[in-house]
Amino acid sequence: MKKLTSTWAGLLLWVLGLLLVPLFADNNWIFIMSYFAIYAVVSLSQDVVLGRAGMYDMGHAVYFGIGAYTTAILNTQYGVPILWTLPIAVVVSALFGALLSAPIVKLRGDYLLVATIGFNEIFHMALVNDVGGITGGPDGIYGIEAPSLFGHQIMSQGGIFVLNWILLGIVLLLMNNLENSRLGRVFRYLKEDELAATTLGVNARYYKILAFALGAGIAGAAGTLFTSLLQSVSPGAFVFTESVTLFAIVIVGGQASIPGVLLGAVLMFVVPQVFRDLAEYRYFVFGLAMIVIMVLRPQGILPRRRRLE
Amino acid sequence: MNDNSTPLLQLDSVGINFGGLRAVDDLNLSIKKGDVVGLIGPNGAGKTTVFNLITGVYKPTDGVIRWKGEPISGLPPYRIAQRRILRTFQTIRLFSGMSVLENVLAGQHMETHQTWLSGLLSLPKQRREEKALRKSCMEILEQLDLASIAHEEATSLPYGIQRRVEMARTLAAKPELLILDEPAAGLNDSESVELNKTILGIRDQGVTVILVEHDMNVVMNVTDHICVINFGRKIAEGGPEDIRNNPQVIEAYLGSDDDDDEEAA
Amino acid sequence: MEIFFQQLANGLTVGSIYALIALGYTMVYGILKLINFAHGDLAVLGAFIGLTVITSLTGAGAAPSHWVVILAFVVAVLVVAIAGVLLELTAYRPLRHAHRLSAVVSALGASMLLENGIMLIWSPQTLTFPEGILPSTNYVIGGVVLNSTQILIVAISFLLMLALYLYVNKTRFGTAIRASAIDQDAARLMGINVNRVIVSVFILGPALGAIGGLFIGIYYRQAVFDMGWIYGLNAFIAAIIGGIGNIPGAMLGGLLLGLFNSLAGGYISSTWQEAITFALLILILLVRPTGILGERVAEKV
Repeated sequence: MKKLTSTWAGLLLWVLGLLLVPLFADNNWIFIMSYFAIYAVVSLSQDVVLGRAGMYDMGHAVYFGIGAYTTAILNTQYGVPILWTLPIAVVVSALFGALLSAPIVKLRGDYLLVATIGFNEIFHMALVNDVGGITGGPDGIYGIEAPSLFGHQIMSQGGIFVLNWILLGIVLLLMNNLENSRLGRVFRYLKEDELAATTLGVNARYYKILAFALGAGIAGAAGTLFTSLLQSVSPGAFVFTESVTLFAIVIVGGQASIPGVLLGAVLMFVVPQVFRDLAEYRYFVFGLAMIVIMVLRPQGILPRRRRLE
Repeated sequence: MNDNSTPLLQLDSVGINFGGLRAVDDLNLSIKKGDVVGLIGPNGAGKTTVFNLITGVYKPTDGVIRWKGEPISGLPPYRIAQRRILRTFQTIRLFSGMSVLENVLAGQHMETHQTWLSGLLSLPKQRREEKALRKSCMEILEQLDLASIAHEEATSLPYGIQRRVEMARTLAAKPELLILDEPAAGLNDSESVELNKTILGIRDQGVTVILVEHDMNVVMNVTDHICVINFGRKIAEGGPEDIRNNPQVIEAYLGSDDDDDEEAA
Repeated sequence: MEIFFQQLANGLTVGSIYALIALGYTMVYGILKLINFAHGDLAVLGAFIGLTVITSLTGAGAAPSHWVVILAFVVAVLVVAIAGVLLELTAYRPLRHAHRLSAVVSALGASMLLENGIMLIWSPQTLTFPEGILPSTNYVIGGVVLNSTQILIVAISFLLMLALYLYVNKTRFGTAIRASAIDQDAARLMGINVNRVIVSVFILGPALGAIGGLFIGIYYRQAVFDMGWIYGLNAFIAAIIGGIGNIPGAMLGGLLLGLFNSLAGGYISSTWQEAITFALLILILLVRPTGILGERVAEKV
């Protein structure tokens, strides 16, 4: 029953957050909570690839960006309503995840890491150079609509918050299911000992590409919400530093640990929002914190609790 | 050629180079269904390399490996595993941080039918399958007397038990050919007697077995056929009694007075 | 053809700077199997310290004297080497036996810390280097302009690399460095003080990096706090091209990458130059991940 209680506790916190925040908090806090939900989803998607499947993906901002730009382009150029772009963003990001990872999943550890850094740089450069005339160049795309549901535009911060929080809930549920499925187990087998897994019939290449596609698809969904929250996108949100931050969230929080990853997202994305006046110290403090936390807790702040079944 | 004369597994002048080193050379080996075959030879003779070649971990530089007459050399390991050729490792390779049960579940990967999507959505059919998988894993664990430790972390168990867990994991994959790389290494006497019984029990279920082993008690008691290799080449082959009395084998193990002979062998 | 030789000369200059910085990456990777993400920022630290020494000892508008320039290099090398050792002792050594990714994140943290530390201490703006730090005479040979600064940078880089090569290959301590790179445990059993070797690598690498960073400032006549990222990455790519962990490989990789960048920027596209570099990197990783001079290692099963 232990397993159930922790899931229920998570569910309870999620419901409390959903109900309480729009009632009591001011708009600034609601914005921060919306922002947190988006980055929590991206961090969880990074964790699928890095913490669960054990692949050193240091270019995850690419898939977040592909989702965000897919929504921005579809909405501004073709007038597709925001929520309709969500499944498209998921599919497009997942496809890119599969296509980009297919040639590189055979690379070991650090080599894969370097290749994904390369993808991130090329992606960022493509955005800045306005590839195909659709990305808006260095300024990005603005003038994106607010999402609408049943014909009503969700204009209030509270409405957007609820929407983002629902996506976070869905992703948490998916992560919980992943733990209890063959897919999640195969990821762990590949992470722990790829050779042993393949000699038991696991098609490592297929599952590694699947991990990238899954992580990318979830990041793409977050991209849609990011675009609708800020009503604009620009290349700056998808630079390599963002990928480093996502990577650090998983390792600092705790690999394959949902509470750890959520805490990491709070530290790296919510805290700077709260202390916006001290923005110039942000990365200095991050850098210091990353070293100190790793030295004191190399397994992360909230490492995955060994749940043996 | 009719089915009875086609060997289950056949190595046809198989060889592999590592850089300048010829680790296995012109190896011919034919394994009949239902046999327990021993592969022996001094340290560094290339025994584990032969296993790595059969299971697709290495690709042979030359020669062909056939499974039921069909060439399998060059296939990736998972495709070879799909033909129910399964192995254990000399250095035990259990998944760390996972329970005995979770390790054995890995062996059932090919027996599992759920799609990734049904897993993510936790559909009722998927949940039923998960339950069934655990049940059949527990049955395997019971057979190997491991049921009581099903929920312990696999890699923190004593060495001899880890070997049995690895065996259980491999059996869960329903092998037709079971390849055991030094299954008795690190076992005490009673454990190795137990191992003999287990191997014979597996054979009685119709599984063909190849094993590399230094423990002659195991080799002589369970094998029907023995192949001796040295410096990557086969130097003798036959029943346990023939091998025991073969002068070349004795020489390979004990060394000869004349070093030139070793080169020739 | 003149453009080609001009790009060649420029590429050689940049390439030798990449090579100097690449050595630090490759030596650390060779022994610790760790990408020292902070290495590029250490090089930048060298540029800023050198600049500070020069501007504070030279009157406005005047050209710095030889002694001031030499002092600038010496101070930069010393400070950056100390920073390198401090980094190893505080951020990497405690994680020697932890999961590899913990050290990677610590290195990323160190990079952020250094980069933003430089920004907070000096300036978020681009700083300009004064003229005449190194003699700057133009020689025109067959239509190709060669600057004496370029020649000096290439010559000094080659001398330093030769010195390092001889040190690592011909001395007793160099042998200890190579032995530790092959097998730390075996080296320890042979009585080699591996920790001393590692510290020495964190002196040598950053020292060369500081010189490389100062060369960047002198050559482009400017420095900005976050340039460590792109120069560091290029140097790291150079190390991979040559075969990471391989010292002559880093030198070769640096030169090749400098030439490649220069020719790609000149002939293909300057707006896409970095993307082309990364595409080349990914291609190399796919075709020959161990680089040009790296050895292939079979996994022991």
